[in-house]
Amino acid sequence: MSPPAIALRRTALIAASTLRETLRQRTPALLAALAAALAGGAWLLRDFNFGASDLRFLLDAGLGAEALFGALVAVVVTAHQFFAALDRGSAQLVLARPVRRAEYIAGHLGGVVLLLLGFCLLLTLWMAALLWWRETGLMRADPGAFAQGRRVPYAGLAWAGLAQWLRLSVLAAVTLFLASYARSGLFATLAGFGAFVACQSQHLACDHFGAAASPWARGGAWLLGALVPDLHRFDLADQVAAGESIAPGQIAGLAAGAAIYVAAFGILAACCFQRRDL
Amino acid sequence: MNAIEVTGLVKEFAGGSPGGRRRALDGVTLRVGEGEIVGLLGPNGSGKSTLLKLLLGLLHPTAGRCRLWGADPDDAATRATVGFLPEAPGFPPDLTGDEIVRLHARLSGLPRAGLAARVARALARAGLAAAAHQPAGGFSLGMRRRLGLAQALVHDPRLLILDEPVSGLDPEGAAALTALLAECRARGRTVLLSSHVLEPVMESCDRVVVLQRGRVVLDAPVDDLARRAGCSALLVDALPAALLDELRRWLAARGARLHGVEVPAAALAQIIREAVPAGAAAETAEP
Repeated sequence: MSPPAIALRRTALIAASTLRETLRQRTPALLAALAAALAGGAWLLRDFNFGASDLRFLLDAGLGAEALFGALVAVVVTAHQFFAALDRGSAQLVLARPVRRAEYIAGHLGGVVLLLLGFCLLLTLWMAALLWWRETGLMRADPGAFAQGRRVPYAGLAWAGLAQWLRLSVLAAVTLFLASYARSGLFATLAGFGAFVACQSQHLACDHFGAAASPWARGGAWLLGALVPDLHRFDLADQVAAGESIAPGQIAGLAAGAAIYVAAFGILAACCFQRRDL
Repeated sequence: MNAIEVTGLVKEFAGGSPGGRRRALDGVTLRVGEGEIVGLLGPNGSGKSTLLKLLLGLLHPTAGRCRLWGADPDDAATRATVGFLPEAPGFPPDLTGDEIVRLHARLSGLPRAGLAARVARALARAGLAAAAHQPAGGFSLGMRRRLGLAQALVHDPRLLILDEPVSGLDPEGAAALTALLAECRARGRTVLLSSHVLEPVMESCDRVVVLQRGRVVLDAPVDDLARRAGCSALLVDALPAALLDELRRWLAARGARLHGVEVPAAALAQIIREAVPAGAAAETAEP
């Protein structure tokens, strides 16, 4: 087996072990259950829809729950897993094996990214089931309103779920980078949430300063846009809810952007972790 | 080739005073030949665990260097030949013993074929066959140490590094460890084990290295240590050379031998030289 293949195998082993561990923990399961409950709870609260249609309300609530609890899973699980392994010494045992630190970081991130994939898949399927059920009920009650067929854009919902996963993967990579030089799990978790807020609102700052007269402000906006990932662009909820079609090119662009950010923050995390005393 | 070669190793950590540095290892030089079983003795805080972590590339030296089989410990491939049991092994609480040992075996490069049998054998040898499929979170300290031993041995390493292997083991476990070390000796495996208690080292090791305050203060065969252990030490007023010769002859006539003479005054002078910062002068010294 070639050295890159061996390195890939070790990374995959660590990723599989991290995934197995997180799947058996209560926190991710609890957060997924809360997200599902919030999405399902929207069913009961659909009369408080602020004027939107039933289906739009359910869609917005479901995607919102996925985004909120997904961010919690991405930050909390990434930081907690990393520091728990360091504190109890299991990371040291793995790194006493022929495992490079970069492989350990990549494996750890890979495990969390796989967990997030499962989270987004489950939540998106749950939302689709809820919408299908409600839409079927509405179709029975008023067949005329659905003469053109079903209204919920299920394909768009699937794309939105995929974009959500890409966004959460970027957030997990940013959190892992922060954890790689942080001295405590609490700091990494809080900094991860701070980074989430910064990345989510990056576009506002870029829009504001990008249109400024000062070249310094415009330069600052450009730098901000280059260094801080724009997580808002992964949010396709409005587009899906408005019934706009999502082009495969848009998804490909998002996937490429996410891959670049995940790789960049993963490399930064590996560099910080490389010289860390364990 | 030496299994372990440590030259002038220094390790400092931040601490002591604000912005200060604490020196955990101070110029340690040590060699462990292939097939040797060496005990690293020293009180708590003497730098034993730090030295072992440096050997595994978990810590980075401030100065000096260490080599495993002639290669840098940062070289991942070198570590494939090493089995490591830390002082307080910790494992993911949600994984079973079998899963943990399997992961470590695979990370060490063992093929999938025959892995299950090998893992089962390692667990059985560590006395964990019955608990192999239980989550490690429910293991007692002794069971965790046994699991640590199973993961350290599963790939049949050429070099075994054991940090305080006896601590947390019941008498049965300690006996199993002694048997394991005897087996390592029979198979020509190299072992470096640290301990703050003398018995396991005296029972199983060829050589003993004593660390104190981060320095090697003794590096001698165990037989030497045993011989010294049978000696008596007398503290008498300073003896002039002629009287010392007379004492030596008197002892020889009665079949005893004087192994060494220490002059505490010289040792005190050394302590004062080390304790007083360079450039300062000590006016008095009181016991």
